Amino acid sequence: MKAVKAVFRNPPLLTFLLVALVWLVASLTLRGFGAYGHLRYLLELAAVIGIVAAGQTLVILMGGIDLSVGAVITVTAILLPLISPAADPTGLVGIVLALALATGIGLLNGAGAAYLRVPPIIMTLAMATFLQGLLVIVAGGSAVTVSNPAVILLGQARPLGIPAGILLWIVVSVVVLLIIHRMPLGARFLALGANPLAARLSGVSVARNTLLLYALSGFFAGLAGILVLGMNRQGYVGIGDPYLLMSIAAVVLGGTSILGGRGTYAGTIPGAILLVTTTALITVVNASPGWRSIMFGSLILALLLISGREARR
Amino acid sequence: MSAIPSSGWLYGAIQRGRNRGLGGLYLVVAAFLVLYAVLFPGILSVSGFSKFTQNWFPLALVTMAQALLMLNGGITLAIGPLVSLGAVIAATTMGGALGVPGGILAVALAGLAIGAVIGAIVAHLRLPAIIVTLAGSFIITGVALILLPRPGGFIPDWLSTTLAGHTPVAFLLLVAILLAWKAFLATPLGIGIYAAGDNPIGAFRSGVPVERVKIVAFALSGLLAALAGLFVAAQTGSGDPVIGTPFTLNSIAAAVLGGVGFLGGKGTMRGAICGSLLLSVMINVMFFLGFPPVAQYVAQGLIIVGAVAVPELLKQWRARR
Repeated sequence: MKAVKAVFRNPPLLTFLLVALVWLVASLTLRGFGAYGHLRYLLELAAVIGIVAAGQTLVILMGGIDLSVGAVITVTAILLPLISPAADPTGLVGIVLALALATGIGLLNGAGAAYLRVPPIIMTLAMATFLQGLLVIVAGGSAVTVSNPAVILLGQARPLGIPAGILLWIVVSVVVLLIIHRMPLGARFLALGANPLAARLSGVSVARNTLLLYALSGFFAGLAGILVLGMNRQGYVGIGDPYLLMSIAAVVLGGTSILGGRGTYAGTIPGAILLVTTTALITVVNASPGWRSIMFGSLILALLLISGREARR
Repeated sequence: MSAIPSSGWLYGAIQRGRNRGLGGLYLVVAAFLVLYAVLFPGILSVSGFSKFTQNWFPLALVTMAQALLMLNGGITLAIGPLVSLGAVIAATTMGGALGVPGGILAVALAGLAIGAVIGAIVAHLRLPAIIVTLAGSFIITGVALILLPRPGGFIPDWLSTTLAGHTPVAFLLLVAILLAWKAFLATPLGIGIYAAGDNPIGAFRSGVPVERVKIVAFALSGLLAALAGLFVAAQTGSGDPVIGTPFTLNSIAAAVLGGVGFLGGKGTMRGAICGSLLLSVMINVMFFLGFPPVAQYVAQGLIIVGAVAVPELLKQWRARR
């Protein structure tokens, strides 16, 4: 009984168990769900959400939110093919430029939130609107095909049978977990999220950490954008849109408080896998778009009831 | 007897307090309206004024729906889907046995009921509003898609001409709704929305039924959004399961332009209405000046940030002197 209670107090573990349960039941009942290839494919899709949600987790932990991640993904996916210099055979220059661009957008978000005191939800929302307009001007609404070899390698390569995207996700996870739990930086983020005033009075610079966090969120969104581009081989307006809500849902399903100060990326990882699995299961049930939308919403609500409750204050 | 003048004085003080910080916004709105009237003198005729207010009306309603919740310390991302659902229900029921009154009743009940359910989930199950309304938006979109998979349905012509013809019916409706809001604010439940948003614990200890107030706020918000959908359906003459999508972000933007804060209790409904008017005028002006729709996005993003940042910077500048 004690063990059960402990599990319920530990949202990351709870979400992991939930994923394991869903996979087990689905594998036993649905033919082909439990195949190695299918599970690997699910993880590959979850990797994109997981990487976007890495930045989102950090920002939400600090009490903010980033509504521009979808737009940043689209920006990197569309601009990367355009800014990759043809003279560079490895394609790394294009990747570096695209990541710098994404980080710069994040930095602008941070600057607006830190210096102009615009609430993050407005700042990032306005940024998303702004980027959406800019993109159509730049790209003209048509799809762009990628020829950058490094990006294609990232999307298609399978060293030791594991897709490069999953490997990238593992690296990102380790880095983010180290930042949150093993570095003074992570302690500062959490302190700012739990009580900004107390954190400031204890000598934590609000402006510097805000800038850093939104820059990180932009960077991770850019990374996810490159991965999406590599997997799709094409960038188009709207390619990043679904990832905005997915990233927030993954964070909340992982037990991180949307109010900041409490949570961990260890919960976001199973949260992302759970979301992808849910979507896959809904696709298996052959339903009309309306019913699919209803099922997705109800499932998220049901999952929230299990893992996303706010403590009574 | 002397209580009457003193209460009048108190009333004036409260009204002044509510107008504080909105002076700049009133000026900007007035300036934009003058600019609009200079550019397009047509707005000064009855028909031009009617058309203008008809474009503003649904945005004003959804902004009220959003501001209501933000004042209570919540937020909703389900505005757009609720508008779509309102339009779809109107277009599917008005051709039925009960006709137009039945359709209006069905839209109103659906909005109230959905809002109340979302509110009950947020208040009693203690889930964050932003994520519940996010999940709710998927469910509501799904229901709208099932009711009416593609644009269509039936709205009687006379209803379209009454609501969206050459008479300022929409404007009068808005005035009526605002008067109703003022009356509602005079009830304990109405003022409880502000109180519970400003300081939930203090409000609870003062006897405000915080959870019931939250459910009422969500229900009213759902009602307003669904009615906005009904109007949009009358305006376009049919139902469309995705027509409401832009309203979610626009409602938040208009409320924030009007000075409504995210943490609850901060801001006023009159500010939010002015914010929606400003946004509506800006969109109209950009449209008539021949801005491509894309440039409108860019300008909208800049204006929203500017509207929030400039007062904040002024405050800092004043504090430094």
